[in-house]
Order: sequence, then C-alpha cells, then structure tokens
Amino acid sequence: MARSATSDRLLADLGATFRPQRQWVEGRGIWLIVGHFLSGVGAGTWLFSLWLGYRPGLGLALAAVALSGLAHLAFLGRGARFWKMYRARTSWIARGFVGMTLFLPGAALYVLRPGGALGGLGLALATAGAVVLIVYKGNVYAASKGVPFWNSPVLPILYATYAIRGGLALLLVALPLGGRGLDAHGVGFLELWVAVSAAVMLGFYLGVMRSTNLAAQRSVAELVRGRAAPAFYLGTVGVGLVVPILVGAAGFAGPLSQVVLAAVGATSLAGDFFAKYAIAKAGVYIPLMPAGRGPAAPAA
Amino acid sequence: MRYGMAIDLKRCIGCYGCQLSCKAEHGTPPGVFFARVVKREFGTFPNTQLVYLPTLCFHCTNAPCVDVCPTGASHYREGGVVDITKDDCVGCRACMQACPYGARYFNETQTGYFPGQGLTPYEQKKYAAQNVGIVLKCNFCIDRVQAGLEPACVANCAARARTFGDLDDPHSEVSQLVRLRGGEQLQPELGTRPNVYYLPPA
Repeated sequence: MARSATSDRLLADLGATFRPQRQWVEGRGIWLIVGHFLSGVGAGTWLFSLWLGYRPGLGLALAAVALSGLAHLAFLGRGARFWKMYRARTSWIARGFVGMTLFLPGAALYVLRPGGALGGLGLALATAGAVVLIVYKGNVYAASKGVPFWNSPVLPILYATYAIRGGLALLLVALPLGGRGLDAHGVGFLELWVAVSAAVMLGFYLGVMRSTNLAAQRSVAELVRGRAAPAFYLGTVGVGLVVPILVGAAGFAGPLSQVVLAAVGATSLAGDFFAKYAIAKAGVYIPLMPAGRGPAAPAA
Repeated sequence: MRYGMAIDLKRCIGCYGCQLSCKAEHGTPPGVFFARVVKREFGTFPNTQLVYLPTLCFHCTNAPCVDVCPTGASHYREGGVVDITKDDCVGCRACMQACPYGARYFNETQTGYFPGQGLTPYEQKKYAAQNVGIVLKCNFCIDRVQAGLEPACVANCAARARTFGDLDDPHSEVSQLVRLRGGEQLQPELGTRPNVYYLPPA
C-alpha cells in the first residue's frame, strides 16, 4: 500500500506545527543533494586545477559537473522539459542551469583542444560557468521563503565555501592517481585552511539561525538533536571537519603521504555531501499558526 | 481587477466543507488539498481552546513562488491569480519551498483513494487533468469565476464565512468586509502581500 504510506505521512506532516521539508532530501530528492554536491565540487576543482595548472583535474571537474547534470535530471519530476529552464528571469535554479550549460561545452572544448581561439573561448565559458555553479546553489536555498532556516544570506557564502573546499578535496583524492606536478602539501594546507573556514562559517550560520524565528530555531534543534542529527554529527562534523582538520594539522609536524592526503580529501568530500544533506533535512516550513506548546522541541 | 477573499473567523465552524468541496471540484489526489482547514489546540486542560484556520493559496501580489520558478510555469494571470502552466512545470519544487503558506503540492504518482483497486471513473476523469511529476495548487477556481460562479470553497461554505470578489473595487463586498472588519493578512512581515484576508473573530 505505497499510496497510504505516502499520503498518511503527508497528512501527518500537514497536521504538525512545524511541517518537515522532505521534497529536497527524501525519495528522489536525494538526487538534488547529489547534484548540488557534484556541481559544487566540479566547479571548485575546475578553478583550482586552472590555478595550479593541473590538467587531469580539469577532466575530473568536467566529469563531476556532467554527473551533477544527470543527478539533477533524475530529481526533476519532468526531466524531459529541462530545456525550458532557459527562461532565467529571477530564478536562481535557471541561473544555475545557464551556468551548467556554459560550463559543460566550454570545459569539454578546453579539455579536448586547450590551445587556440576555440580553446580560449572554451576556457572563458567554462570558468564563467564554474563561478555561477559555485554561487547559485546557496542562493536557490536562500530564496526559499517558506523555510526560514535556509532563507539567509549566510547560506550562499557557506555553500560557496564548501564548493571551494570540495574542489581542493577532489584534487587531494586524485593525488595517488597521478598527482605528479602538483604541490601536494600546498594543496593539503590550503584544504586545512578552507576546512577551518568552513567550520567557522558553519558555526556562525547556526548561531545566526538560533536567534532568528521559531521555525529556524526548530531547524537548528532538528540539526543538533533531531532527525538530521546523525548526519550532522557523524558526516558533517566528525568525518567532514574534525578528521580533516586534525590530520591536516598533523601535517605541520611532518610531511603527510599522498595516500593520507587523499584520505583527507575523501573525508572532506563526505563532509561536504553531509553538510548539504543535513541542512536540507533540518528544514521545516513556517507554521501557519504558532505552536501550542514547546515549539523548539524536535519530534522523536 | 484584483481577485481576493475574506475569511470570517467568527463565522467559520471548522466543518471542513471548503476542504471537501475543493476536493470534489478539482478531484485532487490523496494528500493534496488546495483548500484545507488547519486545526490547533492551545492551552492546557481545563483551559483549552480549539482554533480553526481555513487556508488556501493566498494569491500573493509579491508571490515568492513566481520569483523562484525557473521556467515561468508559475505566473500571474488575470485578476492577480497565481497559477501554474502545467506543460511548463519541470517538477523542481522550488515553489513549494518558497511558499510560506504551504499551498503547493507535488503530484508524485497517480494513485487513487482505493489502493489495489485501480482508479474510479471519477478519479480517471479528474486525474487526467493533473499531470504526474508537477506541482499543483489552488487557482481560485478561475474557470468557475470566468463562468460567473464563485470558487467552490466559497459557494459551499455552510456558514458563509468566505467572501470572494474584487479587492480593487472599494464597493465590493469583500473590500468592504476587509475595510470595516479590519481584515488581516497572514504573516505580512514577509512582504508577500497576500490577497486573502482573515476577519478577526472579535
């Protein structure tokens, strides 16, 4: 009885004071999280690979963004109509789609034919697209007035930080696969610095949200002791922040092997994914009527 | 012309007539309510109070759902009615996250009220108009309004708690009710400027 399970849960949600957001994290919604994660990582990898002159990274970035496009299509209810999203206007989703459309052919062109005018055009298109991809995700969430936890100007900055960090992390993961020519320890320290920045930004974001309205406070409660808490503590904080920061700090004592750095990259990537997942999972809608009692206590 | 509605909370008896008549009019799938009655209990025994809040899409003048729609499927039509062009909706559900009033629903699968028994003839006819994989919402029963009728929830309100009309016409019943009874918008601080007003009970 799949129908009754879904509609019964929807009815229960509608009856709750703080209705949980499920569309962008559960069921096919998980593909949206995967898509946002991969597009941020891909765009970040592109920019750092260009900066560090690491050509294999450019191919990785292209693959990540291409997979992100597929994940987005898997999420959409009517994926075959995706081309209609060119009507950008005021929508950040449409802007992200334009960014992806600039990035994919541009990056493919530059990876295949790096020299000449065509390569230069590809580079310009891909770099512009990568910047849009880094910026748009947080703004998609921040434009969601129905979910106060997301409706904050801090979130786009946090997501951009995570995208940059994801780019560095993917480069670290690629080190044992052919990282010759790359300053591994330089990238490692850069990753440590961005990880600490992400931790500070995350703490700042949660601090701001704790002092916003009741729905945002409830979301923070969901994150730290509610339905998003396991993903937050294990994925975002433990694997995603504590492990990379501790291992990265150990690098001050002596050089770390490429395998260790790759492991740091992998944990950082996992943390990036779980940050997006936990923040999406903790979202609750503005209540139509104030709570009768105990508004900040999360459901069991 | 700006269509709007006034809902008299003094008259509303929480009978769910609006919710059911809307379902009958639009034949929405299980779990989808264009109009619904939110019920909350306040206080602790023996000093308790049961409050009803009939809701629907508020057809905001500054609708955040229209701003975030990537295809323009969510749009303003005549009379300020916020509607969805079904053929343009990609099912991204950004409008659902943007709507502060929870007035939008994603039509995930085509399932009926009697699982395992297929769709009834009524469901088959009604569901044909509601594509799977897109977002659905109230459109003030614009087809009925254009035919000179009231929206189903207004026509079927047993307590006559709902009044529909042109908010731009100062002589319309809805405008007068909003003016004389001090009609209030829900969450005005969000700047969405809803066109549905609540008339306070006292």
